[in-house]
Order: sequence, then C-alpha cells, then structure tokens
Amino acid sequence: MKAENPRQIGARVQRFEDTRLLSGAARYIDDIRLPNTLHLSFVRAQVAHGRILEIDTFGLEDIGYPTWVFTGEDIGNLSMKAHQDYPEMQYSEQPLLARDVVRFVGEPVAAVLAEDPYRAEDAAELVFVDYDPLPVVGTMDQARDASIPPIFEGWKNSMFVERQMKGGDLEAARAQAAHVIRRTYRNQRQAGVPMECRGVVAHYTPGDRMLTVWSSTQMPHLVRTYIAEELDLPEARIRVIAPDVGGGFGIKGQVFGEEVLVAWLAIKTGRPVKWIEDRREHLVASLHARDHEHTLEAYVSDDGRLLGLWADISVDVGAYSTFPFTAAGDPGMAAKVMPGPYDFQAYEATFRGFATNKCPIGTYRGVARPSAVFSQERLMDDIAREIGMDPIAFRLRNVIREFPYKNVLGFTYDPGSYAESLEKIRDVLADDIAAAEASKSSATTRTGVGIACFVEQTAHGTPDFTRRRVPIETGYISARVEMQPDGTVVIGLGLQSHGQGLETTMAQVAADALGVLPETIFVRHGDTLTSPYSMGTWGSRGGPLGGGAVHMASMQIAEKLKVLAAHEMQADKDAITLYGGRAYVTDNPDRFVEIRTLARHALRNVENLPEGMIPGLEAEFSLDGPRDGTYANAVHAAVVEIDVPTGKMKLKRFVVVEDCGTILNPLVVDGQVRGGVVQGIGSALFEHFVYDAECQPLTTSFADYLMPQAPEIPDIEVHHIETPTPLTPLGAKGLGEGGAIGPAAAIANAVSNALDVEVSETPLKASAIWHLSAHLRGEA
Amino acid sequence: MTMTETTLTVNGQTRTLDVEPRRLLADVIRQEFDIAGVHIGCAHGACGCCTVHIDGTPRLSCLTFAVQCDGRDIKTVESLGGFDATHVLQLAFKSEHGLQCGYCTPGFLMTLVPYVEENVARGTLPSDEDIREAMSGNICRCTGYHGIVAAVRKAIGDQIGGGQ
Repeated sequence: MKAENPRQIGARVQRFEDTRLLSGAARYIDDIRLPNTLHLSFVRAQVAHGRILEIDTFGLEDIGYPTWVFTGEDIGNLSMKAHQDYPEMQYSEQPLLARDVVRFVGEPVAAVLAEDPYRAEDAAELVFVDYDPLPVVGTMDQARDASIPPIFEGWKNSMFVERQMKGGDLEAARAQAAHVIRRTYRNQRQAGVPMECRGVVAHYTPGDRMLTVWSSTQMPHLVRTYIAEELDLPEARIRVIAPDVGGGFGIKGQVFGEEVLVAWLAIKTGRPVKWIEDRREHLVASLHARDHEHTLEAYVSDDGRLLGLWADISVDVGAYSTFPFTAAGDPGMAAKVMPGPYDFQAYEATFRGFATNKCPIGTYRGVARPSAVFSQERLMDDIAREIGMDPIAFRLRNVIREFPYKNVLGFTYDPGSYAESLEKIRDVLADDIAAAEASKSSATTRTGVGIACFVEQTAHGTPDFTRRRVPIETGYISARVEMQPDGTVVIGLGLQSHGQGLETTMAQVAADALGVLPETIFVRHGDTLTSPYSMGTWGSRGGPLGGGAVHMASMQIAEKLKVLAAHEMQADKDAITLYGGRAYVTDNPDRFVEIRTLARHALRNVENLPEGMIPGLEAEFSLDGPRDGTYANAVHAAVVEIDVPTGKMKLKRFVVVEDCGTILNPLVVDGQVRGGVVQGIGSALFEHFVYDAECQPLTTSFADYLMPQAPEIPDIEVHHIETPTPLTPLGAKGLGEGGAIGPAAAIANAVSNALDVEVSETPLKASAIWHLSAHLRGEA
Repeated sequence: MTMTETTLTVNGQTRTLDVEPRRLLADVIRQEFDIAGVHIGCAHGACGCCTVHIDGTPRLSCLTFAVQCDGRDIKTVESLGGFDATHVLQLAFKSEHGLQCGYCTPGFLMTLVPYVEENVARGTLPSDEDIREAMSGNICRCTGYHGIVAAVRKAIGDQIGGGQ
C-alpha cells in the first residue's frame, strides 16, 4: 500500500520547525511560566553510600521568606521501580527522596520549595544532612569482591542480573578452530548530555480535576502512566506535555523520579511547582551510559572463517535500575547484538549488570551497541592482524550476503547491503589506505585507517519486548490524521520530536498519501491530550514506525476521499488520483475536484455524501514493528594522523556508508548521521565520567566533561545505499542512532592501524595515544 | 536583599528595574523582559548557549550580572529576523540544516552574526578551519557542526557574490 505519487518522500524539504527554533519563538521547559509557582531545589547526597542519620532543616526557620521542605519520610512509599520479571534479577527500587540510605552522589534527599528559584537554592543550602558512611562499591572489580557487601540489603551478590544467551554448538566451533583469539575491551562511562538539561513543571487545577505536567521528555505517555500508577490517579485526568525539547539522545527517554515527585508536590501544595535541573545535577545525577567491559573469544578456521564466538559481558549499571529499560537493558542488548553482521552459527554469551555507588546508567544513542560494536570490530581487526589478513578482506569473507538471514540467536535479518558497503568504503578510502601503508616506515608521522561494520536492529516488534520482560511491554507508534473542512491536515503524533525534524518528515509522508502540500499539514506531538497513546521517541523507530503509522492512517483518509471524488465525478474510485490538492480522474486530469472541496463536503455539506458514508475525515493507526525488527547497516571509517614525538592525533577524515532503507528526507538523514557520528567521536576521544575511590564524581562541569567542539571535527562524509525493507510500510529502517554506533570502533581501529598496536579501551585521549605510541619512540 | 537600580535596553525596549546584584543577565532578560531566546546550557560559561550582544559584542549572559549592564544596549536572537527568522544567517541555518533541537541555536547565531558581517565587509570567504575556530566557544550536541559551518559559508558567500 504505497503512496501513488511519492514526490515528498525522499525530497530534501527544509524543516518547518526551524523558523520557530531560529527566531527565539520556541518554548522549552524553562519557558513554561505559571503565576504563583513554587520553585524546587533539591538537597542531594554528598556521599556515595551512607545511612542518613539526620536531616537538619533548622536553618530555614529564620530565613525570612516562606519555604516548604519534604524528605523521604514525607512522601510515603513513592519510588521508581524498574524490574524485569526474571528469577535471576535482584529487586531494587529508588525512593523519590532517599529513605534511610543514599547510594550515589547526587541522589535526591530533600525537596526544598520557595517562591523564587534563587531563594529555593539558598534555602536548600541551609539543609544539612548527616550520614554514617557505608562501604563503597566503586568499581566492577569491587562488585565482584564477595568481601564487600552489596549496596542493597538482602542481595546475595552485587549483580542486578546475570544471564546467558546461546545458539549453535560452540564446542564444535572451538574444536574446529585453527585460531583462538581472546581479548578484553572496555568503554568508559559517558552520557548523551543534551544542551538543555531536564526540567518538570506541574500544575493541578481542581476545577477540572486535571493534573498537567510539562516535562522535557521523549516519552510523555509513559510519564503519564507512571505518574497515574504511582500517585493512584485516573490517567484520564493527567495531561503530560513535552514542550520544545533541547536534545534527548535517549537520556530523556526514561521516566524519572523528579517527574513523579514534582507532580506529587503540585497536588500537595496546591500550587504550580517547577524544577529546572542545573548542569551539575545533570552531569552527576540524571543518567549515565556505557561503562562496559567485554571479554570475547573467537574461533576462526585456517581460511579466515569465523566459526563461533564466546562473550563475557559486564556493565557497571550504577546504583539503581532505571525505568523502563532497566538495569538489564545494556548488558542484555550487548549480548544480543554481539553477533553483528557476520555469518557464524555458534555463540554463547554471559551478561551481567553490576550495582555500584554511581549514577544509574540508561539509554544513550545506540544503547550498548557502540560498546558491542567497539568490541566486535576491534576483535575483527585483532583477528585479521593475528592471522595475517587485510581487515576489509577478512570482513568480506565473513559478512552475511544472503537474505533473509537467520542469525545464531534466531533473529531474522531483512535485506541489507553489508558487502556492498564494505566494498564502497574500500573504494572511497583507497588513497588513505595507501598513505597509511606508506607511513609505516615513518618514525614521526603515522597515518591509520580504521573501519567499523555493523548492523542495527531497529523498530523491533512486541515479541522482542515480551522476550525481555521489560516494564515497557511494546514499542508501537500511533498517529491520528484529521483533515479539516478547509483541506488542511492535523496529525496527532505519538512520537515526540526533539531535533529529528518530525514536524517536517511526517508531513511529507502524509502529503504523498493525501495529495496535498506538506506545508498544509500541522504535526502536533509530545502532548498526551492531542496524540493517541504511544511509546515515545527512542530506539530509531520514528521513521519506520511513526512514518508508517502516519502513512497508513493517511491512506485510509485518501481512500475515503477517492470514494467521495468518484461519487461526485461519476467515476470509478480506482481511477482517481490524489495529487496537487486535487482528486482527478487518472487518465483525464481535467476532470477533477479540489481536495478541500471534498473535505468541506465530508465535514460540513454532508448532504452531498454517498448514501451510507459517515461524515468526517479522520483515521488513526498504530503500527507495531516486525517481530525481529528491521536491520539497518553501515560502515564507518576513520583516518587519523598521529605525530609520534608528541602523541598528538588529528582526525583527518570520517566517512560513513549507510543503508537505512527508504530515505524520507535526505537533509534530515544526513543530519542525524553526522550528529550521531560526532557524538561517537566524543565517546572515542574525549567524554569520560570519572569517579574517585570514594565514588565522588570528578567530572561535574563542562570544564571536566569534554565534548567535541567544532575545531576538532572534520566534515563528515556520508554515502547512501538504499535497500528498502519489505517489513515496514514505507521501506524505511531506523537511522537515528546509527551514527553514534561506529565511531569508537573505527577510530580505535585507525589508531591500531597507525601505530601497529592493539587498542583495548576508550577514550583515546592524548595521554592514551602517547602511551600507545611509546614503542615507536623507543620507550617500550 | 539589597536592590540596585538598573536600566537595561533589550531589543529596543528600555526598562529601569530594581535588581539583586547576584541576578544573572540571562535570568533578568528571560524573566523581566519575557524573552525566551536566551537559553542557559551550563551557567558556567562553557557552552555559549546564552550568548547575547552587549553594545554589539557577543557576551555570555550567564557570566554577566544584570547590574553590570546598567545603561547598556542588549540584543537577543529575537532582534535578528523577527518571528519569520529572515536574517541571512538564519535562512542559511535552515537551508544547510545547521540546527536540530534548536537549543544551542540562538547562541550560535549571536556568536556568528558579527563574524559573518566582518567577513562580508572585508569581502573574504574564510576557510572552514577559520569558521570552525569562530564557533569554538559554542557547543552543539545535535548537528556535529557540519551544517553550521556550511550555513556560515553560505551566508558569507551569498553576500560577497561568487560564493561557493
């Protein structure tokens, strides 16, 4: 059921939302201002692990202005619960305000309200909390140490979860192997760090018994459901609105305790309550990501075929399980995706998430895949090096070429372009590969080329969630499309757009189906009152599933328009084309009726409708993903130049060959890829949340947590191969996250190639390059 | 709390306010003038989101107290091209996809408008390296800077003629 005239889909349409964002007319969470608001400032834990002895609020008594203070004792049992229903998973929950024990620096301990944000901060500073320190579990090694008590009472060890995945006969693969290659790889703790911090405003209006919550979130419906369940309120009386959201990257794709607490405080105080997170809070206490350690063992035949893979995956998940993807999300995802784009049928993985006294981790663009691909693709280079093969040739020998392909864990891959992408990148990089080879004789300047080849499972359907027993049971996306009496269109979209350009791309999709201009389509999103229930924007689902839902709903309206047009023109319905604002007889375009006229008839002058036709032009569609999802693929390549005497490295070139199926808007696709790549470059080179031995965070400002800035970054070259998937209505696969998945592996491989050393961890800061190049300076 | 009488002109609107000395210029512009185009990204002078013009020069409004600006002329992104965002650099940001979530965008625009104007006045199209250096005080987390560099190149190139 494709659109008949795909003129908008695939066009480089400039974004409609840009005018608002460029002019200062956009409204973000801090721009939501209500009269009589109380401003919230948190008292947060200053020790990583401690028992709360006393919370002293005496200083507020003579502060000279009204304040309100709430502690864990005041809020009953309100908490965040994010449990996977597996017997292996140990239970944890995080009270919205700590009760008895704090488990990471930055955990909220008390909520202080005042009528001015500066005064709320002043007041919070006068609250003193006395702690009895408890032993800190600060690293994965300490979490493995049975002599250090777990951070939750009653736990048998310091693991949220430890499970296994397997497929095929690994013993046989091991027995047949001519080469056994075992390596350990690590990725540091980092995060998405959107430029806008989080924030929540809540207001309860007794007249309509309505609780309205504004939050800088990617998933308003899930926030609504969690608040309703936790506060025991009817969901019909809660409206959650995500205003303009200043970046998310998965970090805002969680339900946070602050969202529930601010809602509760608004009801409790009877006044609007507002909390705007500051940057320090964001860096220490919102959500971290990655922090993986993988030991892999590959079994390889003497002719360079990968026979099997063994994996041991550990993730430092921090102090709590986060909702809805849980503490098992990252470890499980790493185990699931580790087989990647390669053809082998024996695999065994053990994966675990350790509980430590650090900020909880959760989803960040790529979700475990940047780490998994780092390990997988470093391993491919290390194998190639060990068995004396060219890394691209070794991948080409092992990459999946026939589709559909059922992988070792039983996931079916839809058609992709793995080998073509590798061949394409080899052509594009020919000169760089030659330059790298030539630089091998230089003692001062080395050039290296590294690639990363990967697949990304996107838009997976409900069975994938059921299997994982996560507290998010599905990932469908819904859209409601309504044509107005003047022929303009409103889309109530269950997605939330925070930079992806959905106000444009979704209008393009509907425009093709309805035969109208995308400028006449208004995409409303991020508001539970105007959108059908939906799971929000995450997991690279917006294009394939959101676009698919908009398309399917629009096609239902198109069908009705055609019936109506056929009736009015005395023609056959199947002979009607919708295009250019007209419904016309396909082989005689002069016989037409304006679509806006049809809309007027359908909604107002209903006396003109065919007998039995129900008035109205609206349709809703909920689109679930295919069982195993659809697999986007890409190859990333980095070219680096290293000055051996100083260890200074320059990223000279970064090239992407990607295949996300049907491209809805190349402007947006290229932007998503490039933005993701630069975040991945940050992961590879700069970004690192550092804790000291007492689990005090040392990276608490942008002076310590370093993100890519313009001068360090080259132009990102993007090449496309389009292999539309048969599994989604428009042939689109997900692409929002892919850019961030490959860079750490590609850059590490380039460094390895340049220096002729194995690289086992990120970030590759200047000091790391200095150490890795020591042998070339005769120091090792 | 002692208040200090401060006269600010923001986008042509002049008001005399009693301001606590510790209030940041960013907060006063946002709250007292009801202007939302000043965004706070870090509040410690590292990201450039809050950049405004003070007497024509780009400054960080999160590192400036409002009382320091008594008598000064302040411009925010709203002053560039109105609600239709018609400034040449705004249009170039749009055509070259120099923004995604838009949060850092006003800061980039306010940093780069004088840079574009200087280069146009000189009639020179700077190198990409130079353009990247000009925005080294601003962090964008969405675009990877690619579209912003292209937008600056286009805005200068189109104005000096024969631009690429």
